[in-house]
Amino acid sequence: MLNDIFIAPFVDMVEAPDFLMQVLWEGLVSGILYALIALGFVLIFRSSRIFNFAQGIMVVFAALTLVGLFAMGIPAWISVGLTLGVMFVLAVAIERVVLRPLVGQPDIILFMATIGITLFLIGFGETIFGGENKVMITEELGIPTGDTVLEPFGGLLILQHLDITVVVVATLLVLALLAFLNYTQMGRAIRALGDDHQAALSVGISLQTIWVLVWFIAGIIALVTGIAWGARAGVSFALEVIAYKALPVLMLGGLESITGAIVGGLMIGILEKLFEIYWGQPLLGGNTETWFAFVLALIVLLFRPQGLFGERIIERV
Amino acid sequence: MKHFTKLATAAALGTVLGTAAIAQELYTPNLAYRTGPFAATGIPLMNGQADYMTLLNERDGGIGGAKIDFEECETGYSTEKGVECYEKTKGTAIVTQPWSTGITLQVLPKTNVDEIPILAPGYGFSPMADGTVFQWAFNMPAGYWDAADMIVQYLENEGGSLDGKKIAFLHLDHPFGKEPLPVLEMHAEGKGFELLPIPVGLKEMQNQSAQWLQIRRERPDYVVMWGWGAMNAGAITEAVKTKFPMENFIGVWWAGHDADLKLVGEDGKGYKSISWSFPNMDAPVMKEIKERVIDAGLSQTNEEEMQGVFYGRGLVMSAILAEAIANAQENFGTAEIDATQLRWGLENINLTEERIAELGMEGMVPPFSTSCANHTGHSGGWMLEWDGSKFVKASDLLMPNVEGYSDLIESAAAEYAESNAPWDMNEECSATN
Repeated sequence: MLNDIFIAPFVDMVEAPDFLMQVLWEGLVSGILYALIALGFVLIFRSSRIFNFAQGIMVVFAALTLVGLFAMGIPAWISVGLTLGVMFVLAVAIERVVLRPLVGQPDIILFMATIGITLFLIGFGETIFGGENKVMITEELGIPTGDTVLEPFGGLLILQHLDITVVVVATLLVLALLAFLNYTQMGRAIRALGDDHQAALSVGISLQTIWVLVWFIAGIIALVTGIAWGARAGVSFALEVIAYKALPVLMLGGLESITGAIVGGLMIGILEKLFEIYWGQPLLGGNTETWFAFVLALIVLLFRPQGLFGERIIERV
Repeated sequence: MKHFTKLATAAALGTVLGTAAIAQELYTPNLAYRTGPFAATGIPLMNGQADYMTLLNERDGGIGGAKIDFEECETGYSTEKGVECYEKTKGTAIVTQPWSTGITLQVLPKTNVDEIPILAPGYGFSPMADGTVFQWAFNMPAGYWDAADMIVQYLENEGGSLDGKKIAFLHLDHPFGKEPLPVLEMHAEGKGFELLPIPVGLKEMQNQSAQWLQIRRERPDYVVMWGWGAMNAGAITEAVKTKFPMENFIGVWWAGHDADLKLVGEDGKGYKSISWSFPNMDAPVMKEIKERVIDAGLSQTNEEEMQGVFYGRGLVMSAILAEAIANAQENFGTAEIDATQLRWGLENINLTEERIAELGMEGMVPPFSTSCANHTGHSGGWMLEWDGSKFVKASDLLMPNVEGYSDLIESAAAEYAESNAPWDMNEECSATN
């Protein structure tokens, strides 16, 4: 038993380094996608203290809108532009109809409101687009398909062009987001709101504008995530389930930290894949990915309740 | 002649009971799922089921003069909602169609008390085949254990002895996905192959890279898939990605949905799925549905979906129910049958080639019959193959070797009855079989 836990997995890694590289690559791709979803949560939480339960359905809604518009005969990239427009309108509508009337209410009320948004988007999406599985317009968007086969250490490493594109685009998106938050006035306003709501409002930062902005950015992230996941396994309401994978990322990285979302996503993506392949499948019958990330996050929370990168909250009693 | 008599009796019943039947309705609720993660596979099935009943209502005024109330109660494939739907609809229902193995397992003990037949065509709990124990449950025309047996037979016929080979069993980590394990394990022991179960969690359905890395590492000779909903598309795209030979990849009948394969198109060529139904666009029933239901604007389906395997399967499912209703009406001399009478109808189905032709469904379902002891029918099925754009038949009719696992059915049924005691059994049927 001890051999199976402490020695055999590492022997396997050394004996088949090409396979280990494949595992790490698959973990990296999953991790980047988890990080993207987690970023959507973090941005909204930072600026409004709302845990956005609707992030998952926004991924589905954005992807369905894109595919739906294309199906109406609109060229692919114009469909992308129009989808962004739809996500902007959605952000404005959420701010006006849901958030603004609830300003000053307890956090739990705002959280419940995002559950309401989720249910509305499910019903609205199914009415407009139907529940059938749809094919993502990968080729029409010019996203490369096919693969590159490498033979490291005389073995086999398959790199899907789609996955490479996802890694590159997601990295660029994250860098752009970081630049926006750090070097633009609006970005600094979002950060200011995250740091201290009252102080930010007192210096004239518009809560309404920032909320529309962060929900719109979350919409952009949802669209990119929707394209990436949709290209892998089709566009359907099942995509919503993927958002739950972001929960342990947030627990691990901290709800307020953009760095935490990125590092947490990558850590979980890679570690859960390594654990599943080298320990989960041989020793536990597999399917450990459903719980591994949560256990990892719980262990971190035991030592750092605010997550790896979260801010320590000290409240006087 | 017998079938003519049956039709004539049904027609006469319709005429004689015409006036009285104006207000007569047969309430046959369907616990449907057009929403949620499994909606993509549910919608064409539900459309097929509903359209066949609409055809009967429009063309024949229902069955035997009684209109069919085919109300749907939306479950989203959630077991909790499914049980709620059952409780909500059971009052006047003559049948319940639970539409998931999880829901079936939950309502199974309830229906034995409420005395309402469960109709779960091609799904549910495989030991329901034993009608002496599960007197209210039916999973005709074939069960999961039949499917597992036919797949093993097919692999043996096509690739020779399975001795020393390895078969990966990729399955949804859910009661449905685990159903065929007893028969697969039995065959693994008997035929000398290694069975490698690989579960896929509900949250991992669309990201199966770990499962397919395991398949790459283990190098199985075949992959058998018990997938449903988004899991199928996820598995098929991963199989293409990892370059697993598609001709060695076989799914159960719920993993043979055209829309899932269209995601990979030509790359999926060679993928197979065992099936007890087949879409035959030349069948008369398809033309009638097109004219009287779809063109009349009474359907939610479309031209493309109509040609698929799942839509056709939905039609067959409703045809089986309609046949059971007609049987019961003829036997009991009333159009407005109750649940107990429908149970008799379900236990006396005899879908011969001739009867299937009379229904206008040639080639869409294999012949089968049921009895009070045999609630599955064990119709057999065809191996379908994806040709790059659609499923085609890749085998003659395969028949399960039920005798090979009849002991398993009997012992699993007895075990269920014992653990759910007191459990009412069909003593009358037991005595005659």
